[in-house]
Amino acid sequence: MSLDDDLAAWAAAVRLPDAEAAAIFQRIVATSGPAPAAVPRLAPSWWRDFSAGFAARMIDSTRPARWAA
Amino acid sequence: MDREAEFRRLYQANRVAVHAYFTGRVGGPEPAADLMQDVFLRVWQHLEELADLPEDRQRAWIFTVARNLSVDAYRHQHTRAATERALAHEPARLPAPASAAVLAAERAAIVGEAIRRLPEQQRVTLALAAAGMMTSADIAAALGVPAGTVRYRLSLARRSLAEALGHYDDPGEEK
Repeated sequence: MSLDDDLAAWAAAVRLPDAEAAAIFQRIVATSGPAPAAVPRLAPSWWRDFSAGFAARMIDSTRPARWAA
Repeated sequence: MDREAEFRRLYQANRVAVHAYFTGRVGGPEPAADLMQDVFLRVWQHLEELADLPEDRQRAWIFTVARNLSVDAYRHQHTRAATERALAHEPARLPAPASAAVLAAERAAIVGEAIRRLPEQQRVTLALAAAGMMTSADIAAALGVPAGTVRYRLSLARRSLAEALGHYDDPGEEK
């Protein structure tokens, strides 16, 4: 038996069987893939502050200006 | 882009080489399969950026990930290696050969053991050539070393293996 035969036999013994390689492939593609890029988010209180500010301005706008009173 | 089709192409083109690389690095096929899975999971997660690269750069990218992962695996294996070194001083107790199959298995074990004892660079290079079916040029590109260095390492590895098998074939021969 030549050294090349020995190496070929070793390589055949250690090489990943096709069925196992296919199973690994399936396991990987079953994962969700790339993580979605993080989208910058507004502070949780932003909408509440915005609404309160808007309401306050609306109410103010209905009052006569101080200089006109 | 059809992600799965593109990933399948990359997987088929590189999986044998990557598995052979880890077989050489960690000295056996079992942890190599787990590490190979980790590498290709990263490929799957970064497929969009990889798909735009030329083929040789894709393989270089994959082998860079493989090298980084094998560093961690190496640390993990460090304690096991110490035990194996201690056990290496125990004389091998092989049963008397009973058939050609037993002889072949015994010889395969000798080859595997001789490969495990090679210096790491030679072992990885030999694994990529024999199990990964890569040319010297492919190995050079993947490892980032000159092709002449790859051929030199292969030559040294083959010489060591030939010596190990020579002792097995003719155990009475003393140097």
